[in-house]
Amino acid sequence: MSSRPPFASHSSEPVRRAEVTIRLSEFEIPPMQDVLLVGKRAPIGPEAVRRMVDALTPDQYDIIYLDHEIFEAAVLKRSLLKFLPQEKFLPVILEEGMRVATENTVVKAQVNIVVQVNRAVDL
Amino acid sequence: MHKNPVTIGPFESVGRAAALMNQLKIGGLPVVEKGKLVGIITSRDVRYCHPNRLVADAMSRNVVTVSPECSFWEAKETMESHGIERLVVVRDGRTVGIITKSRLYAEIGKHVDALTGLNRAEFLQHKAAELLQSGQEITIIFLDLDNFGTIDKEFGHVIGDEILQQVGKILKSVIAEGLDYLCRYAGDEFAVVTVRPLEEAKQLSWQMIKALADARWPQGIKVTASAGVAGGRRSRVRGEPNGTRNVRDLINLASLASTKAKREKRPVVVAGWVELEEVG
Repeated sequence: MSSRPPFASHSSEPVRRAEVTIRLSEFEIPPMQDVLLVGKRAPIGPEAVRRMVDALTPDQYDIIYLDHEIFEAAVLKRSLLKFLPQEKFLPVILEEGMRVATENTVVKAQVNIVVQVNRAVDL
Repeated sequence: MHKNPVTIGPFESVGRAAALMNQLKIGGLPVVEKGKLVGIITSRDVRYCHPNRLVADAMSRNVVTVSPECSFWEAKETMESHGIERLVVVRDGRTVGIITKSRLYAEIGKHVDALTGLNRAEFLQHKAAELLQSGQEITIIFLDLDNFGTIDKEFGHVIGDEILQQVGKILKSVIAEGLDYLCRYAGDEFAVVTVRPLEEAKQLSWQMIKALADARWPQGIKVTASAGVAGGRRSRVRGEPNGTRNVRDLINLASLASTKAKREKRPVVVAGWVELEEVG
């Protein structure tokens, strides 16, 4: 045998191998859910969010610029606002968002709204 | 001003803006989109923002601008009233320059008399024109020290300079801020533009003369002055029969009145009151 074994102790060149791991998953479009709260010092600001939303899901979200201690803007799914008006919904989501977020974060929220109606009908 | 300033687009990153400011050693960049000024981003803005942010999300949208024709003092007042350190110079909606506080103050410093710390003659002209333009009536008081040349020759220029400094301080203590604007016009001549009516301005000139006469001077020298007073307002009628008169003419009238006061050995001479067709 004239060939040298690969791990011979006198070999000057170590053999290197690479292992490749691939994880594939679907990219959610849009990447936000029902609500996005943008912190004042987050890596993206309201203008960047506006451009992203306009490009990915035109006419589906409203951006509200805020004068708030933590958040600079809120992005709300328009369909939610058919269930609950903005002036009722926004204070609630901001109050809850403040509990978990800082100025540096962007928080996304999934919101379920169930409207209960009781009506009497004359027989 | 710094002409053709470096600008940045609103959709570039804050990191790029910071790097650009660092590289050029500047503290602010006008933000321009499609040739139109849309904001300004300063080193203070980038300090508080994540570098990934868009410039549009970090800039100030309310840009304070001035025209290239704006005077130094107007620029200074604008800067101070807004509490900012740079003004963008705009002509026809296009950014043509930027003025920084340090550069503006250095330039204004050239128009401040080093000996007395008072503004120079250019300030008087600017202030008078500005007041006239805002529709106010103004009065010029031109004050000339008596025999100052003799004092200089007899006691030397060092004493002469001390006297001029003291005159500046005394006159400053007599005038009222917001009503009267004082400058050292030339050698031993001082001038005030005031929004007081002519009669009140005459009283002020008497107070000035008296304050100088009552002061204690080095080596017991007697320092007196003569004043000329002239009032004016912007004419509402174009084409006055006596031709166009402007701020310079008004200053000149007051100056000639002070010469007359000196000649006639009267402390104050009032030249009267004129309509000015041009304010410049």
